[in-house]
Amino acid sequence: MAVTQAGSRRVLAWDVVGLVARLGLAAVWLLSGFEKASDPRETIVAVRSYELLPESLVSTVAAMLPYLEISLGVLLVLGFATRLAAVLSAALLLVFIGGVISAAVRGLSIDCGCFGGGGTVAPGATTYTLEILRDIGFLTLAGYLIWRPDTPLSIDRFVRLRAESVAGTAEGESVE
Amino acid sequence: MAQGSSGRKPTGPQNKGSTGGNSSKSAASKPPKGKQQSISRKSVAQARTSNTNNRTQLIIGAVAIVVIAAIIIIGIVMNQKATAVQNAGYGASTKSVATEAGGVVTVSNPTAAGTSPKVIDLYEDALCPVCAEFEAQFGQQINQAVDEGKLTVNVHMLTFLDPRSFSQTYSTRAAAAMLCVAQEDGSQAGTYLGFHSALFASGTQPTEGGTSDLSDQQLADLATSKGASDAAAQCITSGQNIAAATAADKSSTATLSTATGGRVGTPTVVQNGKPVDIQPPDWLTTLLAQQ
Repeated sequence: MAVTQAGSRRVLAWDVVGLVARLGLAAVWLLSGFEKASDPRETIVAVRSYELLPESLVSTVAAMLPYLEISLGVLLVLGFATRLAAVLSAALLLVFIGGVISAAVRGLSIDCGCFGGGGTVAPGATTYTLEILRDIGFLTLAGYLIWRPDTPLSIDRFVRLRAESVAGTAEGESVE
Repeated sequence: MAQGSSGRKPTGPQNKGSTGGNSSKSAASKPPKGKQQSISRKSVAQARTSNTNNRTQLIIGAVAIVVIAAIIIIGIVMNQKATAVQNAGYGASTKSVATEAGGVVTVSNPTAAGTSPKVIDLYEDALCPVCAEFEAQFGQQINQAVDEGKLTVNVHMLTFLDPRSFSQTYSTRAAAAMLCVAQEDGSQAGTYLGFHSALFASGTQPTEGGTSDLSDQQLADLATSKGASDAAAQCITSGQNIAAATAADKSSTATLSTATGGRVGTPTVVQNGKPVDIQPPDWLTTLLAQQ
């Protein structure tokens, strides 16, 4: 099939969007995961402050969470199993959003004041709203990648193109 | 040149579970015979590709799950090491004494013969949950090091978390209570450190933004349960060290800010005017081993 000029520009546009979404979401997970991993005490305190888990589970979840985030970041950076990584990302983000909403509704303050120093901000609706909006933004990236997981510079695409060229059905080739 | 509707559509919606591979069927229009042959050969090839794609995607998905599990397991192991309680089993301090000057309590064992202890400044807030984690992880190691005369600790209790407490004054009152115990019972071995640790114990320390905290009477009862005298209890319930605790917070905040270049947070450990990195689980072991 002859790919038209307009068609190839559209392909490029979607590719750019996909790459940005994938690498953006990867960066979110890697930064967040490494930050949590670097301060395990603070992470335990943070998980506990949501008051959603029984104490026996708090330290286990706090131990696993940074590395779950890092592993999703790694998969997304590599573009390996992108749709699966995006589905897991979306699920995790929904859990986070649910946690923040639950804390907001119960009037909990989920920010540890320890690192403030003078003039701590009283927990208000505004910090929760911002956090929820931010997580919804990340959720949108994950949603896009669930819909279109094929992105450039990814192991997924490499595997697909190789499979197609082996079968002789890659774009532009014919079976005569 | 491949023709017509059987071509791959690069921007079309992807199949469920595919990693971007395409298995669209050839369209059912009516091309001439020769084209029909090449198209049907192409759709066989595409069907074959589609089966291979499905299997490939399953393999990729399985590998991804293994990768995730591996990273998590490695991480949990690293996390266990990072949060392991140091010198677990040593228990409470039995030889430390406390002296108070200018709102700062110095805990040491001056009778330990032939030792020149390392000196650290410890900055905490009684309401700070990360401080409670710090105490849980390093409290026993600190107890042992002080008992053995290897460590002297200057305890600075900050009060900036007062507004996060239910009574709005908990940090200050707890700091004042600690001053009372140091002043009245400082020379009684282990009493000050015992009370200090008890305030951070899980179940005792109030929560930030919580629905209750400890009253002065409860602070006094906790102190006497750790061996403090009636004089100390009286000092606590009368609130006579509140002003001293507030003044100590001011000066300690200033010295901490100087040491960290403006960042006032807890827990912080300062040695010789420089903050110590207390993330590594062996920070105190390393510090004690310094020449």
